[in-house]
Amino acid sequence: MSRIFLILLSALLVNNYVFIKFLGICPFLGVSKKMDTAVGMGFAATFVLVMSSVITWFVNILLVKMGLEFLTIITFILVIATFVQFVELFLRKNSPGLYEALGIYLPLITTNCIILGVAILNAQQSYSLLESVFHALGAGLGFLLALVIFAGMRERLELYDLPKPFEGVPIALILASIMSMAFMGFQGLIRL
Amino acid sequence: MTIVYSVILMGVLGLSFGIFLAFSAKKFEVKEDPRVKMIVEVLPGANCGACGYAGCEAYARAVVANKAKPTLCLPGKASGVSEKIKEILENSGKS
Repeated sequence: MSRIFLILLSALLVNNYVFIKFLGICPFLGVSKKMDTAVGMGFAATFVLVMSSVITWFVNILLVKMGLEFLTIITFILVIATFVQFVELFLRKNSPGLYEALGIYLPLITTNCIILGVAILNAQQSYSLLESVFHALGAGLGFLLALVIFAGMRERLELYDLPKPFEGVPIALILASIMSMAFMGFQGLIRL
Repeated sequence: MTIVYSVILMGVLGLSFGIFLAFSAKKFEVKEDPRVKMIVEVLPGANCGACGYAGCEAYARAVVANKAKPTLCLPGKASGVSEKIKEILENSGKS
């Protein structure tokens, strides 16, 4: 039980996928301009993460049994792409505003390194099903946390009178580096 | 043997996910303005992007939403695509 909690906390804070492992940077910079899109993106990615980690856990057992481990990446991408398409269809029907706001970044969840990374790490560390789910949940919530913190800061930055060369993306990149240094403070919090 | 297994596995997985997606596409179908489909049929369908949109369908949506002029399609200019688009827009306005 405590191991599951530790895995969740580790993926969420100590090994935060955006700030410590530097995965999923593209949507992190792309959709963090506004708070609502950031939250929507975070939840969409979390949903895809959890669902795909469940399916890939079963698929991985099948792959190992048949001795086809070399197909890991391609099958995982297939699973992830399916769920991203599903989320896209669902959002288009139930939340057209968010669908429009996310734009190209929604189908790009498919190539979000966090999701493939988590699925492959689950397979490598041979986590159990429950551990995989909590690892994915932690990674997703960590991504959501990173997006929300960053979007809040960027919304405030809009109000400041910045020097011309720093406006927009440059200051966002500087901000991201400072945030990732701040997250270094969580190192050594827990040991697995 | 490995090849046969891989083909079978990928085939089964691909087919089942495809069926799942087709089913959910039907379930979450979005009713669109019929004019969008009519305009897409009139457009050349080259998805060239000369109009400044991501493809013919995106352009058709923008035209219906009144965000774009009906004269932006470059490849269809010679065959009178802009006039046809205008016709579609006007006809639907009356009825």
